[in-house]
Amino acid sequence: MIATPSRLCLEDRPTAQAISEHCPATVRRASVLGVGGTDAVLAARLAAGDDHALEEIFDALARVVYCSALRVLGDDSAAQDVVQDVFVELWAHPDRYDPVAGTLRTYLAVLARHRAVDMVRSELRRVARQERSYRLMPAPPSAGAGDKVMAAETASLVRAAVQLLPASQRHVIELAYYQGLTYREVAHAVGIPEGTAKSRLRLALAKLEEILDRQLLEPS
Amino acid sequence: MTAADRDPPALPPGLRERVLAASLRARAVGRPVPDAPEISAAEAYRRAAGAFYEVLCFLGDLDWRTPVLRGLDVQGLVGHLIGVEDDVRRCLSGAPEVADASHVESTQAAAIGQAGRPPALTRADWRRAADCTLHLVRSADPGTQVAMHGMRLSLGALLVVRAFELWIHENDIRKAAGWAASVPDASTLRLMTELAARLLPHAAARVGVAERVDVRLVLTGPGGGTWDVTVGGGAAAPAAVSIVTDAVGFCRLVGNRVTPADLDLHVTGDSGRAAAVLAAASTLALD
Repeated sequence: MIATPSRLCLEDRPTAQAISEHCPATVRRASVLGVGGTDAVLAARLAAGDDHALEEIFDALARVVYCSALRVLGDDSAAQDVVQDVFVELWAHPDRYDPVAGTLRTYLAVLARHRAVDMVRSELRRVARQERSYRLMPAPPSAGAGDKVMAAETASLVRAAVQLLPASQRHVIELAYYQGLTYREVAHAVGIPEGTAKSRLRLALAKLEEILDRQLLEPS
Repeated sequence: MTAADRDPPALPPGLRERVLAASLRARAVGRPVPDAPEISAAEAYRRAAGAFYEVLCFLGDLDWRTPVLRGLDVQGLVGHLIGVEDDVRRCLSGAPEVADASHVESTQAAAIGQAGRPPALTRADWRRAADCTLHLVRSADPGTQVAMHGMRLSLGALLVVRAFELWIHENDIRKAAGWAASVPDASTLRLMTELAARLLPHAAARVGVAERVDVRLVLTGPGGGTWDVTVGGGAAAPAAVSIVTDAVGFCRLVGNRVTPADLDLHVTGDSGRAAAVLAAASTLALD
């Protein structure tokens, strides 16, 4: 707290401690330049709005980002979207990268992997929703060949992950998602209260996501 | 190791342009992160005056008599600043004689006149002079053109120059008293770096930088930013240089309190021309 000037003037000559309290050298976050290293300088330039730094980083590391995304997604177009997301994120929020914590290369590769995993997750949810709605529709519209391959690969990943669930959780997932039963029907089929069926399904889905994340994040 | 690791695929054509364009839509070139809240030049001056006065309030009698600058002790330096505020008042009232008056000579009488006075009176006189400036600019248009001490600039720019000078002299006094240096808040600093970058071509012209240099000036840390300025002229092929340094350090250079050798500098391009630009920057100080 800075005391008011009038009060300060009435005081006796201050001690060194009082001076440091009342007339402090403004504490700044250490300049990134002070940390040293090329990545730190690049990060400082990004934060200062130097787009040439962004171009340099793109030229040096875009392939790393692209490959990182491609390994998870296996799809060129989606990997390009991840590259765009990652570099826009770096430019818009350069302060989220801490050069002390690691290299820019690692930061961008991890960011790309996370974005790619997020993309797979949302694709899984989309496919799951689509599968359920297909069952309710008499004549589902035909998808393109690429979509069918992607959906088949994703569905196969999910089925493999379902096999890793505990038996009780696997059973409710199969009833709800593969046989299209409602919560009430699942509860009736398994012989448990409806609330228990709901919570068991929630647990099973959480566990499923965890398994899928682990699979996707493990190095190929 | 995957196939992608062994033989990474080339980037698809057009991706670079697409990504860079999308990035610049998310944030304009030159805007720092985090960006400091905008303040007026009058507010920057008010803050600098407040910080300066606070330091004066802490000085002991012996500190006031410590030699600090150009043969002046601290009290004489504060007297010089009283003289500057008087010239600001005259400038705002349209007095022509301050337009080209020397910054030092015009205020020397006020500086010397403090000798032997009780420091409390000098301090009170400076506060009154600064308050008078604040009062005069309160309702003035910051775009009004003014002329003082050889400068032709807007009132807003003059107030930033004044904030700059108060900060520099506040630190002269801190140094004389053995205290740690201070740094302006990011909003004030941003106005200072903006002004310094804008004045760089004038400084280069004044010291006779003959060859044309396209300078990308990148000032890092709070209050920083990125500027593209062209300095010099002549028939020689222009050179592009990039100068990256800390915003506070650069302001100290502009205030002529450090040399380029004291800065944490990252220069790319023609180092000789970059040195000429930095030398020109240090001549912006009024002292």
